[in-house]
Amino acid sequence: MIRDFLVWLQNDLGKGVGDTAQSWSEALLGSLNLWSLLEGTHLLTLMLFAGTIFVVDLRLLGVTFRRTPISVVSDRVLPLTVAGFALMVATGSALFFAKPLFYYHNIWFRAKLIFLAAAMINITVFHLRAQRNRLAWDAAPTPPLTTRTMAALSLLSWLAVIILGRFMAYDWLECGKPIPHWANVMQACKASEKGAVERLPLTKLQVRAS
Amino acid sequence: MNSRRFVPALLASGLLVATFGVPAASAHHAFAAEFDGKSPVLLRGKVTKVEWINPHAWIHVMSAGPSGKVQEWMVEGGTPNTLLRSGVDRNSLKPGTEIVVRGYQSKDKACAPVCKANGRDVTFPDGRKLFIGSSGTGAPKDGSDPNDK
Repeated sequence: MIRDFLVWLQNDLGKGVGDTAQSWSEALLGSLNLWSLLEGTHLLTLMLFAGTIFVVDLRLLGVTFRRTPISVVSDRVLPLTVAGFALMVATGSALFFAKPLFYYHNIWFRAKLIFLAAAMINITVFHLRAQRNRLAWDAAPTPPLTTRTMAALSLLSWLAVIILGRFMAYDWLECGKPIPHWANVMQACKASEKGAVERLPLTKLQVRAS
Repeated sequence: MNSRRFVPALLASGLLVATFGVPAASAHHAFAAEFDGKSPVLLRGKVTKVEWINPHAWIHVMSAGPSGKVQEWMVEGGTPNTLLRSGVDRNSLKPGTEIVVRGYQSKDKACAPVCKANGRDVTFPDGRKLFIGSSGTGAPKDGSDPNDK
């Protein structure tokens, strides 16, 4: 069902009549400047978004700015993080819109979404739970263990999101190529245009080659 | 580090990346991640389809590769913008056009589902030869890129 929606999004939405008519998604993917501008903004905004969230996480871990109360660091830095995140989501959604089916069948993208969800859940839990007795440790050089754990989880999940995002550009595990069974299953290759091709076990390949 | 020194340092590093990082970042991914600089290919054949898409356009051509078998090759080019600026557009690469492409085959030589190569230059029926690759990706310096120094 999700896939049907994405097919419509990619091929039909905004399509006019005539032989050369393109959907909005196709027009964006083939654009001379807009796509590059979006990708460039998406990547450069990482410095604003990740750079600032790492500052806050490292303070919560008790690694940096240990003499500055946490509230002072986060009140100054987090508005920048939020602005960065808004830009990341806006440009990221537009990039997704340009190639919905590619990302739907992309194992790196799927993994990235999982870590993105994990990071968001972590933030929500932190704000609801860990912040409750925040005044007690606001000025502490090293916050309590729960806080530090959540800061570490935040740091690690954002790193995973960034690294997995980078890997989306590589075609090593693309559907239609002979890839391991688990990769075919995890990115739903069977439903994709290029189908699922199972990689033969290495031993068989060697026998065929010799 | 206090914030009076931290902020200028941050700005300076941002400026550095903006100045030197962006030209390198214009390549979507490094050449060596997917292509083999030691496997040059010369593909002669008819264009079957061209995908004018970001971040790389793909030229589909029916050609005999190193194996001698005529099959479909997907040749990676630069962005639609790069190609337009070097003189390649939809009209110069219509399906059916007989072209010669020089490039490098992908590291994965299984040709499944189709063969893949990184394109360097294309020779058109009228003899024009144009660079279709991206600069600064780490592809071998073979003289096809006019931006190579």
